[in-house]
Amino acid sequence: MGTISELMGNTVELLNYVLALLPALMSGVVITLKVFAFTLVLSIPLGILVALGRLSRLRIIRRLAQLYIWVVRGTPLLLQLIFIFFGLPMIGIVFSRFNSVMIAFSLNYAAYYGEIFRGGIASIDRGQYEAAEMLGMSKRQTFLRVILPQVIKRTLPAVANEVITLVKDTSLVYILGLSELLRAAKIAANRDVTLAPLVVAGIFYLILTAVFTKVLQQMEERYAYYE
Amino acid sequence: MKKMMILGLVALMTMGVFAGCAAEKPVTEAPAAELTGYEALVERGYVIVGLDDTFAPLGFRTTDGELVGFDVDLAKEVFARLELEVQFQPIDWSMKETELNSGNIDMIWNGYTITPEREEKVAFSKPYLKNRQVIVVLPESGIATKADLTGKNVACQSESSAYAAIVADEAFTAALDGGAPIAFDTNNEAFMDLEAGRVNALVADEIMAMYYIGEKGVENYIVLDEDFGKEEYGVGFRQGDSELVQKVNETLDAMKEDGAAAKVSTVYFGKDIVNK
Repeated sequence: MGTISELMGNTVELLNYVLALLPALMSGVVITLKVFAFTLVLSIPLGILVALGRLSRLRIIRRLAQLYIWVVRGTPLLLQLIFIFFGLPMIGIVFSRFNSVMIAFSLNYAAYYGEIFRGGIASIDRGQYEAAEMLGMSKRQTFLRVILPQVIKRTLPAVANEVITLVKDTSLVYILGLSELLRAAKIAANRDVTLAPLVVAGIFYLILTAVFTKVLQQMEERYAYYE
Repeated sequence: MKKMMILGLVALMTMGVFAGCAAEKPVTEAPAAELTGYEALVERGYVIVGLDDTFAPLGFRTTDGELVGFDVDLAKEVFARLELEVQFQPIDWSMKETELNSGNIDMIWNGYTITPEREEKVAFSKPYLKNRQVIVVLPESGIATKADLTGKNVACQSESSAYAAIVADEAFTAALDGGAPIAFDTNNEAFMDLEAGRVNALVADEIMAMYYIGEKGVENYIVLDEDFGKEEYGVGFRQGDSELVQKVNETLDAMKEDGAAAKVSTVYFGKDIVNK
């Protein structure tokens, strides 16, 4: 009987500890979500731009887009963060901590989205452009009303992959001293000399990714109108 | 043509958002060029202290997120007396000198050990706290001296004075398994590796090691008699900010005399261990 009440006591103690951790971790979640949301909103339109650039009829634009994708995909995001925040001020360009994060993340993810969208655009049958032209649609109408919706539909699983990766990549902002979820957990782990805050942070990440997975799944179902 | 227009439109939109971001630059991120001399700081009205908020008991956060610690309380008192507002900017420890020199922070104040290498890069205040680089092992390991660590693994924090102290002892480092210490992001991780039995010993600042050991139970660890040298903590400033260094030195001296520094020390260490 003694061991059972002891176990109960320990569980209550642990729960109280986790409850005490929540405010600090929640403020970390806010930073994580801010980085996530801003990056998503900025990088997807930028990604469409990169894809169009890669498919441009003008050789110079194609080359520039290629160079951009090579540089951004070819170097670690952590290095890009350091370069934008610490390196650019040397030539007189100063961004705040959060803006540096926004720029590095958006430019980075735009390159990946660009390649995903390029694949999506290339997969659309040539005949659709011809049919749209026959119906008297302009090139802009064709792209926005015929091509883009199908691209979104086809690339959703690949986009979802990047979205989930982004949730976890937000932890890289620690290098600029921003207290996102993982860093907030590390502060608590160092103070209280225990691994528990890191476990709680892991659960938070799982909850976040579960929510986004669900949302993306529902989007996929909504777009599956011809299947 | 229309496609180009869409392209341009999206480009403009994206740039607009970026421009919007750039415009709302907070006041704390003043460009480095303005920060010359103490007068400029007084005119600005505040100083920015850079610290790693994972460094218990020197600088850390309570569960409510409030920044506390020996160094934090000391800095608050110093600048209250100098009538300057003090802001604390969390930084990553491996980036501390870069943060200082790019003007993002005005000083590094967080268990910052005075070393000859660092003295070339930053201007230090007078030392305010004594420290040792202690070697911590598990009781059952049977390790009692530095010599017992030949062919073994030793952990420490990366970019720390502990790492510098180990590497400075070339013969010792060469005799380690792998010929180098294993460097972790935080001391906490070094301790966890020690407990997991993957490293045989760790080297850390006595101040931080004692905090950890105090939390985990003194009976679980042994601190060897041998160490990696005595050191002192100082506040690191940009070279050229000599007037600020002088003001902080004078204020710290005054606080040692009137007992204010001893009071802060008692809160975090249970006794007065501040340099006399």
